[in-house]
Amino acid sequence: MRVDLFWMCLWCLIRHSVSGQGQSTAVCSPSCSCDEDGGADCSGRGLTTVPTGLGTFTYYLDLSMNNITELPASVFKNFPYLEELRLAGNDLTFIHSDALSGLHQLKVLMLQNNQLKSVPSAALKNLQSLQSLRLDANHISAVPEDSFEGLQQLRHLWLDDNHLTEVPVGSLRHQENLQALTLALNRILFIPDNAFANLTSLVVLHLHNNRIKEIGDNCFAGLVNLETLDLNFNNLMEFPKAIQALSKLKELGFHSNNIASIPEGAFHNNPLLRTIHLYDNPLSFVGASAFQNLSDLHSLMLRGASMMQDFPILTWTNNLESLTLSGTKISSIPSDLCEDLKLLRTLDLSYNEIKELPSFQGCSLLQEISIQHNKIQQIDRDTFRGLFALRLLDVSRNEIQTIHKDAFLTLTSLANVDLSMNSLTGIPTAGLSAVSQLKLSGNPRMKNVLSAKSLPKLRSLSVPYAYQCCAFVGSEETHMKKYTGGDDGEQISMILHCSPSPGAFKPCEHLLGNWM
Amino acid sequence: VSSDCQAGCATCSALNGCLSCKPRFFFHLELDGIRQRGTCLSSCPRGYFGARSPLISTCTKCKADCASCFSENFCTRCHPGRFLLRGKCESSCPNGLTANTALRECTECPAGCEQ
Repeated sequence: MRVDLFWMCLWCLIRHSVSGQGQSTAVCSPSCSCDEDGGADCSGRGLTTVPTGLGTFTYYLDLSMNNITELPASVFKNFPYLEELRLAGNDLTFIHSDALSGLHQLKVLMLQNNQLKSVPSAALKNLQSLQSLRLDANHISAVPEDSFEGLQQLRHLWLDDNHLTEVPVGSLRHQENLQALTLALNRILFIPDNAFANLTSLVVLHLHNNRIKEIGDNCFAGLVNLETLDLNFNNLMEFPKAIQALSKLKELGFHSNNIASIPEGAFHNNPLLRTIHLYDNPLSFVGASAFQNLSDLHSLMLRGASMMQDFPILTWTNNLESLTLSGTKISSIPSDLCEDLKLLRTLDLSYNEIKELPSFQGCSLLQEISIQHNKIQQIDRDTFRGLFALRLLDVSRNEIQTIHKDAFLTLTSLANVDLSMNSLTGIPTAGLSAVSQLKLSGNPRMKNVLSAKSLPKLRSLSVPYAYQCCAFVGSEETHMKKYTGGDDGEQISMILHCSPSPGAFKPCEHLLGNWM
Repeated sequence: VSSDCQAGCATCSALNGCLSCKPRFFFHLELDGIRQRGTCLSSCPRGYFGARSPLISTCTKCKADCASCFSENFCTRCHPGRFLLRGKCESSCPNGLTANTALRECTECPAGCEQ
């Protein structure tokens, strides 16, 4: 029995040492909680210094959210296997140049949410395995040229939410392995040419929420692998032409700037673009050829380019699913629009000066069309033909006088139609059998009465005159009532809500021979 | 709203934890059984990235195939069985790189290594 016990203890010792769990990781500081694998969590304990008594094989040390203000020399000398060191959320103002010496395996260093005024470049010098360095949310206004020297493995660098007034060009010069960089939420005013020239591995660059007014035409030179560029919330006055150097760009944001025009061929060197966020700019002009050949673009939203007159050329931008183009002087839609945009699902061309509608027949996936606030006068037979998926159609606030009797015939999914504020005298109901909401108010010349039978699914109707509701409602307030009407005993549901609802002064029964 | 809040909280309540955070801390909703509790963090939990903005900073979920990430479109670590290559978690590695299962990364293939 004693022999078996002996072998079992020996086996436990061997297993622990093989898996890096030497006798010492069983030791843990009273201020921390340690796990089996060499992780030590000492966060949020009110500590003012690095605790002692932790195991040599500690590979993960979380000291965040304490009150440590300084890191003295060699404070981590007992942790040669440390891979992740978290010091976020302390009050660090000083890091001794030898504080991090010996951490040859360190991959992740978190110093965010502290009080550092400068990058502790001397302390970082020998962290040759470091891949992720967080310095965000400090008070850094200076990045010495040698700040990241020696960090050959650095991939991810956070310098956002600091006090930088310029791009730290010098300190980034030797960071060929850097893949992700954020300089967002700083006070950067200008990006000089070749600011990121050697960052050939950079994939993501965030510069949002700065004060960037101007950028050099070659400021992005060298960023041959950049896929995401975020320039949102700055003061850019001109379109960032420098993006021409970014042939691999997929995500581009420059919304919330002061850009007045997007030039012709603006994105001709960025064929892989998927998303472009450009709203909240005082755009007045957009070059017609700006959005050509962007076959990966899924959504394009242009609002308020008030001087824009030509519909953008969208040849080979053939994966667009959503197109919003409103608030311009565009007066016509190309007749071959749907030859390119076969995958379009939502189309918003509201608030323009469009007089005539082409046939949207090729856009067979269209679900929503909004063309309110234009100058359209008629809807032809083929305008919406074949749009089996169309659910919402808003052509309100136009000048529509006539709608072809078969215009809605094939719209089997149409549920919501707004034809209000036009010049209609009547509407065809063939094809509206699935409609649940129909708006016709503001068509003063429409005096005829609609047939409830042709609109069986209707739940909400607005009409020019109260008497037109009589066919759809009971005498008092509207309510849901089923009744058998007509000879064939077909059940017709009555409408839930009709306005203007007939009342005491707008009775349904004949008075004085007619309702007028 | 209670006065003694957890570190990083600006306002909190006994029932819901942090309601708002001090500047520069990330607001994150943790699940506590069926309840949600607000927390204010200096770094987001694994599987989330910190999105900073002038008004509020929040923890935002990484994409499904990232174990951890720098931003919405850039992973820094993959789940088992996927391999990190320039911010993407791939199911296999291109020629010239080897799928390192321990690191979950596509790594350089040193001289003489079998792919």
